[in-house]
Amino acid sequence: MKIITRHWGKINPLKIDSYIRQRGYEALQKAVREMDPKSVIDEVKKSGLRGRGGAGFPTGEKWEIAAREKSPEKYFICNLDESEPGTYKDRLIAEKNPHQVIEGLLIGAYAVGAKKAYIYINGRYAEQAEVLQIALDQAREKEFVGSGILGSAADVEISIHQGAGAYICGEETALLNSIEGKRGEPRLKPLFPPVSGLFGKPTIVNNAETLANLPYIIRHGAQNYAEIGSKTSPGTKLFLLHGAVKNPGFFEAPLGIGLRELIFAKEYGGGMKSGKEFWFAQAGGASGRLVPSGKLDQVLTYDNCEYPLGSGSVLVVDKTEDIKDYLFSWADFFHRESCGKCVPCREGTYRLWEIAKRIRNGDIRERDRENVEDILWTLGNTTFCPLGKFASVAWSDAMKMFPDKIFK
Amino acid sequence: MNIQKILLRFGPKAENLLAALREIQKENGYIGEKESKQVAEYFGISEAQAYSAASFYDLLETGKPVKKIIRVCSGGVCVSERSLEIIRQVERMLHIELDNDAHPKYKLETMSCVGRCDRGPVMEIDGKIFEGVRVEMVGEILKDYI
Repeated sequence: MKIITRHWGKINPLKIDSYIRQRGYEALQKAVREMDPKSVIDEVKKSGLRGRGGAGFPTGEKWEIAAREKSPEKYFICNLDESEPGTYKDRLIAEKNPHQVIEGLLIGAYAVGAKKAYIYINGRYAEQAEVLQIALDQAREKEFVGSGILGSAADVEISIHQGAGAYICGEETALLNSIEGKRGEPRLKPLFPPVSGLFGKPTIVNNAETLANLPYIIRHGAQNYAEIGSKTSPGTKLFLLHGAVKNPGFFEAPLGIGLRELIFAKEYGGGMKSGKEFWFAQAGGASGRLVPSGKLDQVLTYDNCEYPLGSGSVLVVDKTEDIKDYLFSWADFFHRESCGKCVPCREGTYRLWEIAKRIRNGDIRERDRENVEDILWTLGNTTFCPLGKFASVAWSDAMKMFPDKIFK
Repeated sequence: MNIQKILLRFGPKAENLLAALREIQKENGYIGEKESKQVAEYFGISEAQAYSAASFYDLLETGKPVKKIIRVCSGGVCVSERSLEIIRQVERMLHIELDNDAHPKYKLETMSCVGRCDRGPVMEIDGKIFEGVRVEMVGEILKDYI
């Protein structure tokens, strides 16, 4: 079952007609001509679609909150600021089939009544931004974008907003600040963006992969979509496999697939590289938990609170590797990307990074071990936004799973 | 470089600020205090706001770059592809240390994921990205920049 990748390689991403020949933009026509905004939202609610950015919030319910707001000005934002280590799914979506995201974005904006939409793209994705701009210009020519979409009363203007290198801008409120020309620091919640977001107006921020599901849902109906994948997390998901597997790369699989199947099945990872023995997997990029071999029967859904699937990236680590290298990698990333707004995160990630370097160099001090526990607790419980918590996740797991390999 | 000329390409609205800063970065090489002042006047915001935005992002510089910056990705996937050995090789060849400012001409840093994990390990010099870097290739890559 393919939804996201269904047209990849078959269509020319630079030509809108090639997407239209695959019945592209039919869902948009159906939405604006045959459905009112409320029935679009109802359809998405019934489909059970959940946000693909990692948190898995039900998309239809998010839309409903913004749709209820009486503000004449609303915004809709496609979050393409992907920068989680090990994650490049949104980059693929943008370069292989940009129109699918644009169509999803238009449907969403129509449903909540937003006249202005943005695609916030990672500042390092210059080529993808260009592909999207070309796609956007073509869609405007066809009257899919702009005022009076396809002769209806709906107006949606879209512009592309390039970031400038900041992981935290993927957090929705930091992203809003960034569009407003401020430092990309997160805001206090509540109020949540669907009530008060960009320039204080109701705003929906949806991940690019979430939006890419919408054309399918509107065209084939919520019932059809809800039957794919797991009951509480329907649909398919792009998974990225890395590390010591035979076939690393991207795979579209139904949600609810087991981690073991993803790594070992022939059509996905194909098992371990020859001569390599499984040690642990990390699901969800640098923010993800470590999964030992005994827990591989975990299914990947948004309900799985023990091992969240996050962005859908899975790194498989074999027994020849050194955990100290990874401790450094995680700490290095989060200390660099901490925005500096709150003290526990700014200081905690920095000290953890210093300790990670000492652990690698083998000059670990007695008090470091105690401090690590302290720092991890502080990061996990007291930071302003989830970045600090994410910084503690893999470290905490590693401390529990392999203390002897870290402090010896 | 005429900053005013660059600014005139953008409407003075808050949502265009980051795009304008990116453009100044591209053509001027950095956004210092002088540039921030002009940006602030044009957009009708405080100098502090213009400078604080410019100083926040990785891809914007607030001072004229004086050193060649060599960056190697330290994300988990690149590490599993041996990027830490590439860092060691650069350190050996240029006699520098990661994150150390001492050398007058070069600085070695790690960088965050650039979304090319399928083609790692990744390194960057002067804004140019090298993919699938192996330890044996480091000398060849550095030769063109040193």
